[in-house]
Amino acid sequence: MRLFRLTIATIFQRKAWAICALAVIALPFALPLISSATEKPILVQPARILAAWDTLWICALIWGLFTAAREGESNAKSGIGEYFLTTGVSATRQLFEIWLAVFCYVAPLTLITALICQFAAAPQDPVEHAMWWVLNAQYAALFLLVLAPLLALATALASRFGGITGFAVTLGLTLYGLYGVGYLDNMLKLEENPILHGLWLFSPQYRFADLTQRLYFKSGALPSAAFWTMTLYFGGIFAVYTGLSRLCFRTKLSA
Amino acid sequence: MSKQAPSIQLDSGLEIGYGSPLARFGQAVTLAGGTHFLLARNGRGKTTLLRTLARTLKPVAGSFRVHGFTQYLPEDLRFDPEITPAMIFRTLLPKARLREALDLAGRIELDVKKTYGRLSTGNRRKTNLIAAEFSVKPNTGNILLLDEPFSGLDAFARQTFEEIWQQSATNVLRLVSCHPDYDAMAMPSALMIEGHQARHLGSDGQTWSHLKNLLN
Repeated sequence: MRLFRLTIATIFQRKAWAICALAVIALPFALPLISSATEKPILVQPARILAAWDTLWICALIWGLFTAAREGESNAKSGIGEYFLTTGVSATRQLFEIWLAVFCYVAPLTLITALICQFAAAPQDPVEHAMWWVLNAQYAALFLLVLAPLLALATALASRFGGITGFAVTLGLTLYGLYGVGYLDNMLKLEENPILHGLWLFSPQYRFADLTQRLYFKSGALPSAAFWTMTLYFGGIFAVYTGLSRLCFRTKLSA
Repeated sequence: MSKQAPSIQLDSGLEIGYGSPLARFGQAVTLAGGTHFLLARNGRGKTTLLRTLARTLKPVAGSFRVHGFTQYLPEDLRFDPEITPAMIFRTLLPKARLREALDLAGRIELDVKKTYGRLSTGNRRKTNLIAAEFSVKPNTGNILLLDEPFSGLDAFARQTFEEIWQQSATNVLRLVSCHPDYDAMAMPSALMIEGHQARHLGSDGQTWSHLKNLLN
């Protein structure tokens, strides 16, 4: 795991992770203080939920994907990928070690967010409170399941096409899955279009993994069957992206 | 893991290149543990041969065999500019050898607390070389393919590395591409690429002054 340790140390040394950690810890408490929640204390809890999960999404999508792309590009361009390849660390293993290093920074941020939500934004009602941790855990699990293959894809695309491509494509794909697919859905309800319908069918429906509104409106935990269906769906996307990532990943620039 | 002597066997007819052949071995060559120099003019295939032996590039034709734990150190290998040599050594080297590596860094005046991006070319080279040298596995044969390790390196550091190479000649085979800068440099074993032909020249008293006129 030498490449993993090197990547962990490199990301640590760049210190941008500290800004993300600070944002994820402080903003859920700071942002409600500058919102209308100061006038209506009842709004503090939902404001904190929004601040916590939205900060996590922003940090993960901007910093996480950028870091993954940068590491992938740097591994291929700097000769490090080629060096490790000659020592017997295969391309698959290199992709895994780089991905794991980035994931090791993103996963604790997710855990912190879920904990903040659990202990600093939990509802008072005992019934709602009982379901709260389940919903938080479901949200954290789906979030990580969505983000994990995107990190691998960013690394792989960047290693082949450059850091900007790796970052922009995965960021665009995530934003499309979170927001664009919803618009497409609405368009299709207004007017039938077989091409757009085909596109919609093969689009990643990341909006289903965003449970912020469910927390906000205290709608309770996802039913078990729905959660496992989503897990299976995002697991399928995970498998497809992992395969694509491996196909795209390069340990060195082409000769 | 059993102790195994490192070796490289290049079969007669081996051709290296990117699609079209750059150089061809007319005779089979066998290299054992120790230091072997790889000499050729610019663009004649030194890096191509090293990459071929490291198996990151396929030979155009022919075959070869490499026995031992291989490390290829590209000439342009560079670590992240924000990381320090101390962190590189801590992450890449076995714990048992870290102290030794830091001691060597101190001896050759490599500031391990300075970020890699702020090191001079020579000091970056020292960092890369230390990382590779101390990653050598003690209980098996090792092959180090070093691409221009001396460029930018000061004479003292170069001499220090050459002494280390002599001490570990039995279980490490080093193939070193370089452009020597003094005539008396001893080169008892050298792989030469002249024109499109590659061959091995070896004799105890052989120096750069004997070999340089052969390069065309």
